[in-house]
Formats: sequence, C-alpha cells, structure tokens
Amino acid sequence: MALEVSLMTFAQGPLLWALVVVALVAVGAVLRARKTNIGLRRQNSELHQQRETLQRQRDELHVAYTGLTHQHSAELAEVRKDAEEETKAVLKAAVRTLQGLADEQQVVIENAQQKYGDDPGILADLMAVDHANSQFGRRAQGIAVLCGGWLGRRETVASVFDVARSAQGRIRQFDRVRINGQVNFSVVSKAVEPVAVVLAELLANATNYSAPGAPVEINIQAVPTGVCLIVDDAGLGMGQEEKDRAAALLAPRAAISLSSLGIPPQFGFAVSGMLAARYGFKVSVDSVSPYGGVRAVVLLPDELLTGDVPSPPPVAAHHDAEVAALPRRQAPAPSPTPLFPPVAQPIAAPQPTGPAATTAGGLPKRRRKSPVSVVPSTEPGQVRSNEETASRLGAFQRGTRSGRDMTTMEGPEFQ
Amino acid sequence: MTTPGEEQAVNSGFVRSYVITGGRGLPDAEGLSLVTLVTIAPDRQPPPNPSPEVRAIWELCSGGYLSVAEVAGHLGQPVGVARLLLNDLAEQGHLMRRKAPPPAQLVDRKILEEVLHGLHVRFG
Repeated sequence: MALEVSLMTFAQGPLLWALVVVALVAVGAVLRARKTNIGLRRQNSELHQQRETLQRQRDELHVAYTGLTHQHSAELAEVRKDAEEETKAVLKAAVRTLQGLADEQQVVIENAQQKYGDDPGILADLMAVDHANSQFGRRAQGIAVLCGGWLGRRETVASVFDVARSAQGRIRQFDRVRINGQVNFSVVSKAVEPVAVVLAELLANATNYSAPGAPVEINIQAVPTGVCLIVDDAGLGMGQEEKDRAAALLAPRAAISLSSLGIPPQFGFAVSGMLAARYGFKVSVDSVSPYGGVRAVVLLPDELLTGDVPSPPPVAAHHDAEVAALPRRQAPAPSPTPLFPPVAQPIAAPQPTGPAATTAGGLPKRRRKSPVSVVPSTEPGQVRSNEETASRLGAFQRGTRSGRDMTTMEGPEFQ
Repeated sequence: MTTPGEEQAVNSGFVRSYVITGGRGLPDAEGLSLVTLVTIAPDRQPPPNPSPEVRAIWELCSGGYLSVAEVAGHLGQPVGVARLLLNDLAEQGHLMRRKAPPPAQLVDRKILEEVLHGLHVRFG
C-alpha cells in the first residue's frame, strides 16, 4: 500500500514530469547536435576536397611554372648563344680582313727592308714598324681564333727553333727572350702558325708578369713522345685560383664566351687552349720555373713533327746551285781567253749563265766569268787583212796580259 | 662553322729580321760596304751553336770571296742584317775582308780616236 502510494506520488509528483521534460529536451538536443555534427562533417569533408583540389592545382601550377622557367632559361641560353655566335661571325669576318692586311703590310715592310737595308737608320725604323705590325697581326690572329676563325696557313715546314724565333718576334719585349737548345725536328706546315701563336701568347704572359728586364727562357727539348718547348720566367708565379682558371681555359670543354675574358680581355690562355685542342698538342702552365716564376710547357706530339729539314727559306731555293758554283769561285785565275778565233767571234759572248739568274731577294746572281776586256765591236762582220788582224790582236794580247798582271798583283792579297 | 678551305695563306716571312739581330743596334756601312768582299778565314771552326743565318753565312763564305750585298741576297735578309752578322764574325776573327777592286777607269773616247787616227797615219 505504501509502495503504491509512493508510486502514485512519484507519478504524480512534479519531479517526475520535470524529469520527463528534461529527458525529452535532452533527446531533442542530442538529435539536433547529431544533425549539426553530420552537417559539420559533410562540410569538413567538402573543405578537405576543396583543399585537395587546390593543392593539386597548386602543384600543377608549380609544375607549369618550373617548366616555363626551364623553357625560359633554355631559350635565353639559346638566344645568348645565337647572339654570341652572330657576334663571333661578324667579328671573325672583320678580323679576317685585318689579318689579311697585317700579312700584306708585313710583306710590304719586308720588301722595304730589302730595298733600304743598306741604311742602318732607315732599316732600324723599318724594323720598329715591322715589330709593331707583328704584334698587331698576333692580336688579330688571337681574336680570329676566339671567334672560331683560322690563323692562316704556311706552305712549308719550319724548324722548331724557327718556330720559337717567330713566336719571339710577335711579342713586345722580344729582346728579353733567350732560346736554348736545338733539335733536328721540324713542325709540319699546318701546325707552324698555331704553335708559333701559342708560344707567343705564353711568352707575352711570361714577359708581362715578370720583372722588366728579367730574361725569359725557351728551352727546346726532345722527349720520348715528341718535343717540348719550355718557357720559364722569373716572375711571381700564379696563385691556385689563377692556375685553376688557366687550366680550365687551356682544356676548354665548350666554346669560350668572349664576354667572360674581362676588360681588357686576357685571351692568351683561351687562344692557347683552343688552338691546342684543335691541332692536337698540349699546353700546361701548372709547374714552377727554376726561377720561381711560371713554367709553361708546350708538348708537340710526333704527329706534328717531321724529320724534314726545313731548308732555311732564303738560301733554300738556290743553295744547291750555290754549292755547285763554289768550286768555280775557288778556282785559280781562269786561263787566258783564247784569242783565236776571236775574230770570227769578236763579241766575247757572255757565257750561258744557266737558269735562276737572280736571288730570292731580286739581286742578280754573280757567276765568275772569264775576263771580258774587249770593247765589243759594233761591226762584227767587218773584213780585215791578216796583217791588220795580227797587229791588232798582238796589241790586244799585250793589253790583256798587262791587265791580268795587275789583277794577280792585287788578287792574293789578303787582309 | 669554318672549313679548312677558308684558311688564307700567310705569305710574310716567318722569322722577323729584328729577332735575327736580337734587337741590337745596326752597324753603319763603314768597313763593310755593299761591295766589300768577305770570306771565312782558313782553318776556322764555326762558333758554337750558330744561328741558322750564321751557319748559312759560314757555308756561303767558306768557298771564296763574296760581296756583302751577295751574302745578304743569298740569306734573303736586308743588307743591314747581314752586315751585323758579318761584323760579329769579323770581331770574332773569323772573317777576312777585302776592298772591292777599284772600278775600271773609262778612257775618253776622244783619246782612243786620236790614237786610232795616229795608228792609221803610221801604219795605214
């Protein structure tokens, strides 16, 4: 009874209702919260999706951007290369004219030296002009090489010694250079100019970067693999950075950009490297000379050498003829000109002098002739009586004999 | 880019004259004029390590007298250069010099005619 009452009370009590209401409200709240939660989840996943899309787009953009950057830099490089090549082509054509003119001028100067060689003053001035022109020619050749052009080709082989001397003549302070050692090798004609130009660039460096007046030596040495031309200077040497730069230029992996050579351009090593690579010889500057400066070594392989003796150009053409003529020069006074039959042949006909009557320099070649002491008669066909002929010839013979006597008195008289 | 065919020939002399002289001052013509005759003195040995030019002079002048101008011509060098090298050899005592024979005196044509006339009168 009591329990029933209490249950009744309970069911009827306000507390119960309150609890029911609260429970209902709670259920409603839970339901709403769940709904909100579901909404939020959906929103969240949507946002995630959006973010992924955006990230994907960003990645795509990034890829596109990188691609564009690459393309741009590639195109830029290509344009630069084109521009460089065009510049080089223009420069090469321009310099080629200069090379031609320098060579032409050199020939003109040479001819002037031959022509005015007897006057020491004029000759010295012409030599100064020649010297300046040689340096000018070397500069032009250097630019031509850097532009992918050519040096010009020599027709003949030249001895290693002459190549060294030719290189010596192309630098400003040529009088500081000493050449030691000679080998019996010549440089093949196609490599003559390249080796001379490279050696000249090395000599120019050696003289420019050592104390003025200090000698620079070229030592020529035969080695098992060829011939070495060793240039030693007494300068301060090079630091590691300079050595690295030089080594990079001397063994070029790609075409050298003109603008990378600085102002004023230092193109000695660049020129040397390009020529060495093109003609197949080696240049190195990484050792130290016995004088503390730089030792530069040019190694000419056997392929660029020949055993042919380069006939020294001037004497070459007529040397054999000259040797053949020598015994005649030594011969004692030639026997008197036979007088008979001079009547039939009143003009002492000049002996046939053979070919090559002039030297390379255009001077007449002298050959010893039989003495000609008759004034040639202008009327060869004149008929004379025997008596007249005899008396004339007698007088003539006496005359020539006395003339020859004079010569013999003068002849053997030495200094 | 460039073919070997494009290469121009180089015609100028290979070794410059001032290198041969070593940039030294050139002697004047005194003592070795164009027509002075020179020869290598007998029984002389060439200087050690002669330059190709000195060797050429040695060969040229060992056989007998040659004029300075001829030596220069055979060397293909200006006379001044040959003279300097010859001067060196002379200073080392290797060279003998001889003055060129004096040029023949040309006799006046009139005198010859007079002589001829006289001979005609006497013998003719």
